[in-house]
Amino acid sequence: MFDALIEGLLLVLQWKAFSLMMLGMGLGFVVGLLPGIGGAATLALMLPFIFKMSPAEGFAFLLGMHSVAATTGDITSILFGVPGEAISAATVVDGYPMAKKGEAGRALGAALMSSLIGALIGALVLALAVPVVRPLVLSFGSPELFMLAMVGIACITSLSGLGVRGQIRGFAMGLFGLLLSTIGQERQSGTLRFDMGLMYLWDGLDLVPVLVGIFAIPEIIDLAVRGTAIAGDRQPENLQAGVIEGIKDTFRHFWLVVRCSAVGVFIGILPGAGGGVAQWVAYAHAVQSAKDTKDRARFGKGDIRGVLGPGAANNSKEGGELIPTVAFGVPGGGAMAILLGGFLIMGLTPGPDMLTKHLPITFSMVWTLVIANIITVLLCLAVLNHLAKVTYVRGGLIIPFVLFLVFVGSYTANGQIADLIVTFIFGLLGYLMVLFGWPRPPFVLGFVLGKVVETYLFISVNRYGFSWLSHPVVLVLIFLMGLVIAYPFVQERRSQKRDLADAL
Amino acid sequence: MRFKLRSLFSLMLMAVAAYAVFKARHWSFKASLFPFATGIPLFILAGTLFALEFFGGDESTSGPAVEIELSTDVDPTVARRRIVGILAWIAGFIVLVFLVGFPIAVPVFIFFYLLLQSRVGWLLSVSLTTTAWLCFYGLFQWLLHLPFEDGFIQSLLGL
Repeated sequence: MFDALIEGLLLVLQWKAFSLMMLGMGLGFVVGLLPGIGGAATLALMLPFIFKMSPAEGFAFLLGMHSVAATTGDITSILFGVPGEAISAATVVDGYPMAKKGEAGRALGAALMSSLIGALIGALVLALAVPVVRPLVLSFGSPELFMLAMVGIACITSLSGLGVRGQIRGFAMGLFGLLLSTIGQERQSGTLRFDMGLMYLWDGLDLVPVLVGIFAIPEIIDLAVRGTAIAGDRQPENLQAGVIEGIKDTFRHFWLVVRCSAVGVFIGILPGAGGGVAQWVAYAHAVQSAKDTKDRARFGKGDIRGVLGPGAANNSKEGGELIPTVAFGVPGGGAMAILLGGFLIMGLTPGPDMLTKHLPITFSMVWTLVIANIITVLLCLAVLNHLAKVTYVRGGLIIPFVLFLVFVGSYTANGQIADLIVTFIFGLLGYLMVLFGWPRPPFVLGFVLGKVVETYLFISVNRYGFSWLSHPVVLVLIFLMGLVIAYPFVQERRSQKRDLADAL
Repeated sequence: MRFKLRSLFSLMLMAVAAYAVFKARHWSFKASLFPFATGIPLFILAGTLFALEFFGGDESTSGPAVEIELSTDVDPTVARRRIVGILAWIAGFIVLVFLVGFPIAVPVFIFFYLLLQSRVGWLLSVSLTTTAWLCFYGLFQWLLHLPFEDGFIQSLLGL
């Protein structure tokens, strides 16, 4: 195994593979910065170029590009409040308020360092976990996966404010997201649902216009209302000091970063969940790790932990997603499904062969994740000063450029004007949500999970009736969901008691 | 009993949920299971919240949602005017894309936004617009080969 590990490293360090990895990283860097154009879409665009590459070169190129896009997506989220990638949306919630407070450098430093640690943990787990993970993945059937998704949504409801009403709002938003995900043709019966007679809606609402609209438009409206730069009228921060502070923050909250990385790996392993889910669950975990209600109230206003959690999970999930892809040929997410096509193009069959005959290739993927992330973070740290200065440019100069990127990004979803209208409608909806105190994260998670959850629910009910509710793992997950829902109330009660004791 | 503006959102959710359940009632089991499973609880939750907001007074135990905070330090009249203004610009951009397509709409929109809304001088407006167009062309068309449809006007004129 050690020989294969070294051989994998040497495969990546060959000049051709290394050059292709750098080329892929360059593309991934740009794609990550641009809102809407996802890493998965770029993987698909680049797939035809690997026909003449060896497996090590092809994976260096594709994985280099994919892993970098996840990291640089955080930069746009922090600087403009526009998710650079669908998997960077959670970083907006605390990263952008930090930029508004003049702490863009600190947020970027923390996002990059936590991304690096997350990626390293993901790569390590990928290298070690294949034999361990196999029984776990195989033991999860549709009922368990359905309940796991429900636990994910329950976690997110903890972001929706304390008290009964806060929890209700969170669940309602999660359900609203799930409900909107049903728009379009039902895949097996062919029934058209809520299509309003529009052919555009037959395929359902695309994630990109919905996500970009719901996050970007409210920020743009607010920037226009303020009439200042993103960082307000503050004097420019000492960026170098800010970046170093952000890096230090990563180590101050090291265990949070490790735990969120573990969340990312675990969710990455589970087929169908992917980074869209991992970031939010990691964010919810960061919020739940707050000491008390006062500490919790800092989230959403620029708490560094809200940047560290999603940053780590986004990148660790890459390693996690590769585990079922490589070992069983079951893609962990959309991007991995495309990568699976890459396996076939290069004449490889995912499965046991990848763990025996082609083990050096598998390890070359691990090394690509490690090397690409290290280089990216170092390069980003070198140019952060210039990037963060953008937050001090007058809003009036920024807005048209951000709008242009937002709408071009949305348009890439289906290449239709309707994508722009959907972006606008969800932008208005997002603004109203923020205005009236309805949380957007549960909605987004519900929307992301909707199609998968529906399939799991149908298979569960169709196959087991309602007896699936008594499966042991399902019962454990129901109990876990109860705990997750109850925790904010317990936290609130504790806080009230403490306040009472302090008053006495 | 007091009606708050934010309660409108609960009412909107109730209406959406009711519509979904109503529409799903004639669909096959497979197609209707999920709309029922999400629509009914959504209606109940939104209704409960509406009742709590309408009859229950202010929230006693509350904490804000983990969300961004909108600016509150701008005069409400000015804020409203700016909101309407930016929404009009966005809507105008979409209409422009529909009429002339992205390659023309992008520079036109950026130029006029900078000139009229941001009140930037001619020279800076032209140079920033040129930069944006070069980015658009170089990145999206030349490098990524993204297809952009012609606008309605070009299609109409057969250009």
